[in-house]
This record gives sequence, C-alpha cells and structure tokens, in this order.
Amino acid sequence: MNLLRSFKSLFLLELLGGMRVTGRYLFKKKFTVQYPEERAPMSPRFRGHHALRRYANGEERCIACKLCEVICPAMAITIELAERDDGTRRTTRYDIDMTKCIYCGFCEEACPVDAIVETRVYEYVGEERGDLLMSKEKLLAMGDKHEQQIAADRAADAPYR
Amino acid sequence: MVNIEINGIPVQAADGSMLIEAADQAGIAIPRFCYHKKLSIAANCRMCLVEVEKMGKPMPACATPVNEGMKVFTKSPKAISAQRAVMEFLLINHPLDCPICDQGGECDLQEMALGYGNGTSQYGEAKRVVADQPIGPLIATEMTRCIHCTRCVRFGQEIAGVMELGATGRGEHMRIGTYVAKSVSSELSGNVIDLCPVGALTSRPYRYSARPWELDSHDSVSPHDCLGANIQVQSRRGELQRVLPRDNEALNECWLSDRDRFAYLGLAASDRLSAPRIKRDGEWQTVDWDTALTFAAEGIKAAGNSVGALAGYSSTTEEYYLLQKLVRGLGSNNIDFRLRQLDFSDQARLPAMPGLSLPVVEIESIDAALLIGANVRKEQPLLGLRLRKAALNGAAIHSVAAVDYAANLPMGQRIVTAPEAMVASLVAVAKALLVEGGSAPEGFAALAEKVEVSIEAEMIAASLKGAEKGIVWVGAMAAGSPDAAALRSLAALIADLSGCQLQLPGEGGNSAGAALAGCLPHRAAAGSEVDAAGLDWRAMLGAGLKALVLMNCEPELDCADSRTARTGLEQAGFVVALSGYASQAMVERCDVLLPMAMSYETSGTLVNAQGNWQGFGAAIAAPGDARPAWKLLRVLGNLLDLDGFEQFSSEEIRDELKALTGATGTIANQLRWQPVAPSVRVEGLSGIAEFAIHGVDPVVRRAAALQASIDGQGASVVRVHSTTAAARGFNDGQKVMLRTGEWSCAPMPLVVDDTVPAGCVLLRKGTEATQGCSSGFGPVELIPA
Amino acid sequence: MQLLSDASRAEIDRWIAKYPPEQRQSAVMAALRIAQDQNGGWLTNALMDEIAAYLEMPPIAVYEVATFYSMYEREPVGRHKICVCTNISCLLRGSDEVVAHLEQRLGIKLGQTTEDNRFTLKEVECLGACVNAPMMQVGREYYEKLTPETLDTILDGLE
Repeated sequence: MNLLRSFKSLFLLELLGGMRVTGRYLFKKKFTVQYPEERAPMSPRFRGHHALRRYANGEERCIACKLCEVICPAMAITIELAERDDGTRRTTRYDIDMTKCIYCGFCEEACPVDAIVETRVYEYVGEERGDLLMSKEKLLAMGDKHEQQIAADRAADAPYR
Repeated sequence: MVNIEINGIPVQAADGSMLIEAADQAGIAIPRFCYHKKLSIAANCRMCLVEVEKMGKPMPACATPVNEGMKVFTKSPKAISAQRAVMEFLLINHPLDCPICDQGGECDLQEMALGYGNGTSQYGEAKRVVADQPIGPLIATEMTRCIHCTRCVRFGQEIAGVMELGATGRGEHMRIGTYVAKSVSSELSGNVIDLCPVGALTSRPYRYSARPWELDSHDSVSPHDCLGANIQVQSRRGELQRVLPRDNEALNECWLSDRDRFAYLGLAASDRLSAPRIKRDGEWQTVDWDTALTFAAEGIKAAGNSVGALAGYSSTTEEYYLLQKLVRGLGSNNIDFRLRQLDFSDQARLPAMPGLSLPVVEIESIDAALLIGANVRKEQPLLGLRLRKAALNGAAIHSVAAVDYAANLPMGQRIVTAPEAMVASLVAVAKALLVEGGSAPEGFAALAEKVEVSIEAEMIAASLKGAEKGIVWVGAMAAGSPDAAALRSLAALIADLSGCQLQLPGEGGNSAGAALAGCLPHRAAAGSEVDAAGLDWRAMLGAGLKALVLMNCEPELDCADSRTARTGLEQAGFVVALSGYASQAMVERCDVLLPMAMSYETSGTLVNAQGNWQGFGAAIAAPGDARPAWKLLRVLGNLLDLDGFEQFSSEEIRDELKALTGATGTIANQLRWQPVAPSVRVEGLSGIAEFAIHGVDPVVRRAAALQASIDGQGASVVRVHSTTAAARGFNDGQKVMLRTGEWSCAPMPLVVDDTVPAGCVLLRKGTEATQGCSSGFGPVELIPA
Repeated sequence: MQLLSDASRAEIDRWIAKYPPEQRQSAVMAALRIAQDQNGGWLTNALMDEIAAYLEMPPIAVYEVATFYSMYEREPVGRHKICVCTNISCLLRGSDEVVAHLEQRLGIKLGQTTEDNRFTLKEVECLGACVNAPMMQVGREYYEKLTPETLDTILDGLE
C-alpha cells in the first residue's frame, strides 16, 4: 500500500488525471451564455419576481384569504384586509419583502384563485432596502405588465397541476 | 354506571347518558355538528354515526343511550363509510368559498371535511343558494353555508329563552332565519357565532379582519358586570380583534353576553385619549408625562384636604386601592364609586362588600326568588341564565318592580307599580309573611298600617316561606332608586321572615373590588371603619371641592344624576381626570386629562359577586402614551410626597390589599332590618330611571355595534304606557322633552310601551341621548318638542 | 286590531281544550287552518303573529309550522286550489300529462293563479290515493283516475 502511494505521488499521477479532464473540456463545445445579449432557456415554472393578477374584467383576483401569508416559510408576506364597499373581501395591504423571500413558490401553490404568481422576471435591483419592499400597487402593476406571459405559463403548466 | 366498550377500550358511562358523552369522557373523538353539550339532542346532522354491535344500521352516537355490554366501533369500516357518506351529503349544498369565509381555519366542517371528505363530489347539479337576510349589527349571516344543524335555533329556544331564529320551510327549501325581517334582540345573541359549526353565522364587527391562526390569545376577565365572565382576548400584531368566552362552569359556562363580547369595539373610539393634556390659562396643551403629572400634583396639593375622587365601576381593584390611598393620604375621605346610586342613608349598615351569598351555580337549584327592581337578564345576562335554569327546574320567580320586564323565563307573581310604590309593595309582602308568624320588628307597624296586602303579595309570601332555598334579590333599579335604603331594609326583613337569603349583587363590573379596596367615603380598605365618613359622590359634587380626581368615569354619563354631575364639575376647582377618552364634556370641565389604559390594556384583579379574585394580565398595549391607572396613581402619590406608593407591579398592590382583607379576600356580613320612612307620593307623572344595558361604562358606551343593536337603540327614548300617552295626547315616535323642575333634557322620541306602569315615564341613563337629564326619579313632565 | 274573528277564536278554543292547559301550542295546526279558512285560503304574517300571541308561543315557531306544511298558503290563492300529485305512483300513471293539460287549459304554470282568481295550480306530494292514480285534490275533494277528458268535465263543473 505504502509503496503504491509513494509511486503515485512521485510521478504526480493524480494531478495528470485531473489535467486530462481539463484538457477534455478545453476542446468540447462551450455552453457559456453571453448574458445579457444571450439568455438561457427558461421553464414556465420559473420562480422569479412576484405579481398579483387581475381577471379579464379588471377586477383584482386576490380575495385576502391569507393562505399565502401563512404558508410563507420566510414570513415575507404581510396582508391586511377589510370589507370593500361592495361587500367583498379585499386586501388593504399586500406587501412582499423581497429581501426575505426565498422564492419557494409556496404562495403561488397555496393561492386558490391564482392571484399571486411568480413571474419569469429575475432581473430587478433596488438601490435601497425599501425598493425591494413590494406593495400591492407595485405587484398589481407587475401583473398587468406581464399578464400575457403569466397566462401562457399557467396554461403550459396546467396539465401537470 | 354502565360498562361499555368503545373501539375495544372499556369505558364506564352514567346511566342514560348517550354514546357520544361516554366517548367524549374517554377522549375518543367522534365527529359531530349538531350535538352540543349544553343543548338538547337533535340528531339531525347524522355526522356522529357509529357502528354498534348487534345493530343493523349505523347509529347516531349523540342519540343512542348507552347499554350494559354495548360494543361500539367509531373507526370501523362501516362507521367510517357512513360518516364519509354523510359528509358527502353535507358538502352537496355547501359552497366552496372557504377562502373568503371568516370561519376558515376554525370551521368544524372544514376540519371534518379534511378527515372524511372526498376530493371530488359526485353531485353535478346546481347548488342551493339562500338569499341573505340581515339580522342585526352583531351577527353577519351567509345562510348558503348553513348545514341546518339547528344549534342556533335550539340556543334561542332553550338557553336564551327568546326564540328568534327558526327553521322555516322543509327539505331543500329549509332555511334558518327570522322569516320576517327583524334584528335579533337577545342580549346573548352573540353566542350563536360560537355555536355555528360553519361560517353561516359570524361576527359582524370582526368580519374580514383576521384569520384565527394569526391571533394571539390572552386569558382575561370581562369588567362589564359583576359576574366577571372569563374571556379570551384575541389580538393580532398588538391590535385587539375579538373577544371569545373561556369555559368556566362556575361562572359563565361556555357563554358570553353580547356586552362582554362586543364591548371591546369601544376601545378604538375616535375620542380615545392617547397623550396627556393640561389646561393652562384656559388653553389645552398636549404635554409630556412629567409636565402633566407635576401640573396635576401641584393642583391637587394646592387644594389641601378639600379634595375628592370619583371612580367608575369597571376599574381594577388595584386602581381603586391606590386611588383611596391617595385621597386618604391627603387627609380626606371623599371618595366614591357608587355613581349609579342615589340613596346612601344606610351605607354604614350595608355589607362591606356587595355580592351573592351563594355560589353562582347554586342559583340554578333555588326554588323561589323575589326580584326587587331587578332586570337580571339585562343587568347580568349570564346570571339571568342561571335564574332561567332555576325557573325551568320549577322555581317560582317573583318580581316587584317599576317595569314589567320582558322575562325570558316563566315568571311567578309580578307586582308592577310606580317606583315610589315599590316600598309599599314590599311592605305588603312582609306583612303577609308576618301573618304566618313571627313578630313585627320595631318601626314596622307604622309603615304597615296603611298598606293592604294584595293577593299577589300573599302568594309571594307563601312561596318564599315555603321555599327550601329561596333568595331575595335587590336589582340595579332598586339599588339606584331614591328609596334604595328602604327597599334594602325591607328586602332584608322579607329575607329574614321567610328564611331566604338576601342577595345584593353589585350593580357594576367591579363593585365588590371597589368596596373591598375601600373606595367608599365611610370605609377604608378591607371594610375598616373610618373616623369620620367623607362625602358620597352627590354630596361631593355639591360641595364645590377645590380639587376632584376622576378615574375611569364620565360623571355626566356615569352618575345617576347627570345634572348634579354637570353643575358639580363646573363648581369644582381643579379637576384631574384619569380617563380613556376625551369626550366633549370632559374637555370642557376638566383641567388635566391623563390617558389611562382601559380594560384588556392593563393587568389587575376583578372581584366578582361571589367573591372570586380574578387576576389577569394586559392583553394589548394601550394606545399612544396611555399608561395603566395604577402607575399614574403611584407617580401622583410620589409627587404628593405620600407614603406607601412604592409598588412596582399590580401584583404587589394586590398582595398589599390581600394582606388587609385576609386570605379568603371576602368579608361576610348580613344586612338587618332598620326602620324606614314611607316614600313620598309623586303627583302627576312619576319618573323611573335605570341604566341602559349598553350604557354602563365608557367603553361599552362607545361600542358602535352594541349601540346599533335593538337594546342600544331602545335606550335613547322615553317610554310611557299607552293610556298615559293617550291621556296626554302623545303619539308613538313623537319627539318629547323630559323636564324636572326647570331643567329639561334634549328632545327624544317617545315610545308607547305597556311594560311601563300607567302614569310613569321610563328613562334609560348612561347614553348620549339622555345626558343632561336629572336622576329621572320623582315628578317629571313631558313637553312636546 | 283583532284579525281573528270571534267565531275563529271559539273554534280554536275548542281545539285548545283538547290539550293540557300548559300545552296550548299543540293547537297551532288547527289554529292555522281555521285562520286560513277565515282569510280566504291563505295566511298573512299578521294572522300568524296573532295566532302566536293567542297560543303564547314565539311567532317564529308558528312560521316554522306554516312553512313546513304545504297545505298552508302564504300567498293569496284562487277560489279553487288544484293540487296535483306528482309523486311516483301518479307519475307512473301519467300525472305529467295531467299537469300539462291543466297548464295548457288554464294558461298558468304550477304554483300560479289564474288572472280571474278562479284557479291556483299546485304540485303536491303523495295524498294517499295511489290506488286510483293519477289524482288531484280541488278544495277538499279528491278526483281520481284522471284523464284529459275527465279533467275538462271537472273544471267545467267548477265555477
């Protein structure tokens, strides 16, 4: 045993073995993507920035059932609710703290009306902490902006849900 | 006892008990909707079907009596399949709206569906939809969700004694409701919210405000009547969301009165005081605590011993104790909490602590009662339940009162007279008792001379005399009447002659605690006598004291004589108010407003009518700068250089008082007969006054939902008998002003009400509408507005 | 104002007398029937309230009874109340044709009243005359083994 180890270390056999792998990849076809000019393919199940959706008639979907708030493992969601003038149950506040969110997608899974969804948007920054605190208005705007993509993604995933 | 076997476990059960009770005792869970331990058995939900050996079909566990040697299986394939089938039927018509249902998270149907429901339904037809019918400001209805367990119907019928909800129609068309559009009027209606196993009946004020899983629960005690109902105060992120009952078989069982349940709404009133304010040179300034307390202390100090204090009924015992310590430290005995009373002539003879002579549960087993000026149902709703149980068990409940109160129990004899004639009615009862034996006490003969014994009085006397366990109950109207001393003395005599027990339940939430703490002009802490009695609240306000301290009361609303309260406050030199609210009247008449923490916001102890010291912690923080009153009093005591204000917690204060009262913490003594003067006859209209059920303290008064209820709305009117209205040409609904002497209060609608004796006018005090009226007793006039 | 006539009250008293005095409410069904007859075949809320007061029971308990039984009407009805059984025996023997014929001839649907206030057509559950199905009840009379022809004669016979 001892003899074998001495032999290996004397002739740097393990190092050469590693170099061989390096050499093999040196000549293989590369899969590096030239971000941001190029983009990697994305699944319809991608879990990026959140959005609140609306129905086709413009009514917000969220009914303030609070299931997303309770399921959120990072406790990133804060909801306050009240009876709206027409008697329906609505949120008066829907905040997601993006600095807490771990993008697990549980909120989306818990939602009985597909109101809170995670979009394909992953490029967003905030210069201050507060910029990453998403309010109901911001989330609804997000939903309005990406509704087409969101709807297409839900449709694509529907058979497996 | 019967031996049975449930799921192979041997269980002993009482004879005649039902399977579900035996299983509950043994800790074996059987699903159920319609069964409730306090209600009769309906067996209409069928959820509790279990398999019983040698019985062909599954049996409902709630309606199957135990039998010796019975073998029951609650989890056998047959039982489970029966339960699953029932669940499927129940879900046929139940809407799938859990996400917007307030019951979600604490719903029996939701939980049971998780255990017994199928993922899909075989039912594809249209579901039943029931149009909603509003039933008042306290209960929200969503009758499409109803599963017809009829718990709410049975509650009204059996417990509350007022059947207002019913099941109309049948089969598919059956629905629970009032049939005709009306609000429910029971003072216990809120309990159907707890009873409803689904989201059909939910709390309206709590509607869409939180989910049960995010609520923090704090054990507390309700301060609004002398029962001290045990409650859970639930908050979310430090904000109070709702109040629920906490089981205590000795006090409130599993029920709660609407007042206890919804009073919390008053805590968030718009005139809530959240920062100390002082009036300097006629200008109100919001200042910091140091400035405010120093300002208050200087003002009080300047008054020397010309100082007095008034306290409301719902403070903690610790606060009362420190308040009296402060006043007595300043060399004065002018302190009083009995703001709803008018007659103090017998105060030296009264028991040191108002209360019941028997435990609350034993009220159920009495066999006769005489209620004197008592509307127990509205004064202490949950004690009313006990009386009702007694009546249903066969007790004869008699009443002598100035109003023919709508009872929720089978009443015995009722004597309804003008308020000043109540004394004579009691004399008649005592006279009838004397016929059967016993010697007339000194001074009675003169009183009894002119009184004729009516048949009713004779029957009451016979019934009380024949009772093995009878009580004589002095209610709030009697205690608050100008003849209170005479009524109490006669009540004591009647109790004595008939061998019944005299009950003097305190009219307020913590009367017993206030009395024990020494918040009285004639008695210091633990009932010890003082050298020279101070002034009662009425005398205090008439005396033009140089400084007055108010704690947790709004004198114009809380005092039995609003007019005296107003003029008294105007005459008082320097008024310091420890208050939760800055109402217009308070701002006008006070010099310092110190924001105090109200119920649920402070720790403390309440002493109930049976002498239990019930302690609790603060459930939520008080708004803004408000502080518990005991802390404010402690600092004031220090600033005034008084001894004995070094406590660091409310527990320390409680222990200090407890050391004085002794280990049991109650003082027992009995009221005896004392000669009384006959009451003055009233010419013309005679006034009757009592505090409104929802006008008893500053918090309840501000609970908007309670004020919008039938009881709340009914408080802002004057009531007269139809013959009186007709004789004087008044119509129902007409606006009138009530006048006493040259003083009249704001116009109020007149209601024709035949429960008021002819020639009398009934007024409910403690509300905005009746603010400014005098005591409401004695000769009054009605003027069209 | 008293809605129940003295005659009705006397009749109700006769029924009350049949039960123990503390169980006056046992007479509620008879009282409702008497009130209904007095009021031209239907019950108003005020009438039910008066019965409740008379029998010392909560009004809602009277409403429960009145809504439970299909024989109590809470809407005005025509002079003749035609109750057609559509339960299984009658259905198998052609009660749907009876209903269709009646509807067509009277020009109303089930549950409606003709404009001249003569007829009200009602669907009811089994009236216990299956032996001669299909059947209907008009007023207090049973008419059995119905066919379109016999229906016409019956209807012509009613004014």
